[in-house]
Amino acid sequence: MTHDEVKTCIQNTFSGKLTLLDTGRAEPVFEVKAADLRDVARALRDDPTLRFDYLCNLGGTDTGERLEAHYHLASVANGNRVDLKIFLSYENPSVPSVRDIWPAANWYEREMWELFGINVEGHDNLTRFLLPEDWDQGHPMRKNWDAPDFVRLPEFEA
Amino acid sequence: MIKKIPVYAERIPGGSIVTTSLEAVLHHGQASSLWYLLFGTACCAIELMCTGASRYDFDRLGMIFRASPRQSDLIIVAGTITKKMAPRLRRLHDQMAEPRYVIAMGGCTIKGGPFYYDSYAVEKGVDHIVPVDVYIPGCPPRPESLLEGCLTLQKKIKQQKLSDWQK
Repeated sequence: MTHDEVKTCIQNTFSGKLTLLDTGRAEPVFEVKAADLRDVARALRDDPTLRFDYLCNLGGTDTGERLEAHYHLASVANGNRVDLKIFLSYENPSVPSVRDIWPAANWYEREMWELFGINVEGHDNLTRFLLPEDWDQGHPMRKNWDAPDFVRLPEFEA
Repeated sequence: MIKKIPVYAERIPGGSIVTTSLEAVLHHGQASSLWYLLFGTACCAIELMCTGASRYDFDRLGMIFRASPRQSDLIIVAGTITKKMAPRLRRLHDQMAEPRYVIAMGGCTIKGGPFYYDSYAVEKGVDHIVPVDVYIPGCPPRPESLLEGCLTLQKKIKQQKLSDWQK
């Protein structure tokens, strides 16, 4: 399938649950609500025409205005890619776990939780593994993060 | 060697008697047999390996590497030290035989190097964790610099007094 066919197919399958984002990229990027994520994920994996059976990457972003969780999916069988994004506010950000749908999500979700402070509901082992075990200085990938020996690169005038 | 350390030599028939201080012999022996603990974590470790290999040849200083802290009296910290690694480095240092010495090799080890800015994970200076005797600047330092640092450390060891050990 071409990118456009994937786009159309996904839009037909999940009317109302996914919103196509205009990113300028060939590969489609959809916004999804956190509450719908698990349904969408399961359907994307199991739908015989889509078969997104491979979670390439899962990560977070702090844009300065909001938090985002990204899911980069690929279909090994069909050779397609699609990205999902969840927009989250700074107050109590939370996404459901997709660990049981794609086992690869296990460590990615732990990373996202410890670096961005995005809570992952339903993860059975949400413990630190990138930062030291006694880390108590918050979430270092947040834009407003600060610590006593953290030095931010000064911004240069162009 | 006789010219290098303070000795009194007296010729007697069939040989000679050499008198020197125990201090000089001890420190000469100590400086000439530094066994360093393998602790290379990044690119500096490649230069360290090169210095140990035949072209630069650490062995001529009496230095050989040990993979065990119990039998080493020098640790050459070669590479980036992250905050998660810091307690492990401290433990290895504490397990080493006394008196022990630390050489900080390269920019990352000394002050965080290119990770000085915007890094939450890198320790900005290994002297926050262990006391450092010799700093070798560079990114990474060439083997000549490392050899120079080791000679500086040897000089320091030879200049120390036995009474310093009690401090």
